[in-house]
Amino acid sequence: MASAATSADVLNPLMARIAAGERDALRQLYDATSAKLFGVCLRILSDREESEDVLQDVYVTIWRRADRFDSGRASVMTWLSTIARNRAIDRLRARGPMAYAEPVDELEIADGSDSAETLLSAADDRNRLSACLGELDDRTEKVIRTAFFEGVTYEALAKRMDAPLGTVKSWIRRGLAKLKGCLQS
Amino acid sequence: MSEAPDLTEDEALAAEHALGVLNARERADAEQRMARDPAFAADVEAWRGRLAPMLDSVEPVTAPAGLWPRIERLLPANDNGQILSRLRFWRNAAVGGFALAAASLAAVVVQVNQPPVTVDRPVPVAPQGQLLSASMVSQEGRAQPLFVASYDPDRKALIVTSLLPEQSDRDKVHELWLIAGQDNPKSLGLVESGKAKVIALPTEVMQKMSEGAALAVSVEPPGGSKNPDGPSGPVIGVGKLSRL
Repeated sequence: MASAATSADVLNPLMARIAAGERDALRQLYDATSAKLFGVCLRILSDREESEDVLQDVYVTIWRRADRFDSGRASVMTWLSTIARNRAIDRLRARGPMAYAEPVDELEIADGSDSAETLLSAADDRNRLSACLGELDDRTEKVIRTAFFEGVTYEALAKRMDAPLGTVKSWIRRGLAKLKGCLQS
Repeated sequence: MSEAPDLTEDEALAAEHALGVLNARERADAEQRMARDPAFAADVEAWRGRLAPMLDSVEPVTAPAGLWPRIERLLPANDNGQILSRLRFWRNAAVGGFALAAASLAAVVVQVNQPPVTVDRPVPVAPQGQLLSASMVSQEGRAQPLFVASYDPDRKALIVTSLLPEQSDRDKVHELWLIAGQDNPKSLGLVESGKAKVIALPTEVMQKMSEGAALAVSVEPPGGSKNPDGPSGPVIGVGKLSRL
């Protein structure tokens, strides 16, 4: 994600202008980032029409909330992706309990860790995260990826996996602690 | 991988919020906490940063050409400047005294001297059950928020927290206002410095709690604004309501 158009040098000043109410700046941000955010919505929702609705909502949200963006705390791309992911997950949750009916084992979970092409083109951060996720036991890795891409709550995960809530919670918490340790090493 | 030490309870919560496993209520609480607890917010942002590379593997897909015009039509015209201009219009007199207020007031006076702008946009219907939050900041610079609020339709309440030091201004009180549509600002009561407060909302006020409406805080004499239609003292914080 380190292309010239989405570098902090380009995006940070845009965010300040958006916060000041400049529509042109939002347009420029849209041109630079909408393909990425549309990809995120599609990845989570697997539905083009819903993804378009969500993407529209995402940029209106960016417009409203740009004054809360703090470049000292987050990168623009992370901030934008978080909004897109949250909104897509809201939409997914709004589909109702049926969206949570599939057991985890049958989910198709993209595995970012073993594609040669992925590795070659990837940034270091991504490789490190993939490697660290890969060091977790399979079940924990799967649960964390599923939670991330689907916003599945602890309650829903427990139901899907037919495991007690406390157990699922401790898998994830332990997994996250290990992940942090691995990323720091 | 060697055994990693457990995360502290706070960091675990931050990580869970970033990951997305919290339910709607817990998420709302976490968002509210981020607004008033910078250390917690930093933890959440750090976790978002750690997990974000998972999104790098997502292939970009060009959005359909017609989407931008749709977005542009939806952009609300009411930014904070316009909300302030409307508050200013309703104010009777500028009562200074509070250093922060005076400073922000100066900015407001420079910014606006005209009656409220009529904003032509459809009033969004507020579906009951939509959690909203607002972060009220002063108008000079984008500092830390001075007040944060979150609207919880299930509890029929607005939870507002003053982030100002306790008893920072004994001769004055802070009054919270709702600015929705073209209505006069509606007082939602007084907020004590450094305290959190749960304000029960009647149905007619709940109906006005929607994205794009704003909350503001003014500095008033003890007992609150004598003006029934809006603040009488300077506005020290304003923020729009938005979904999480």
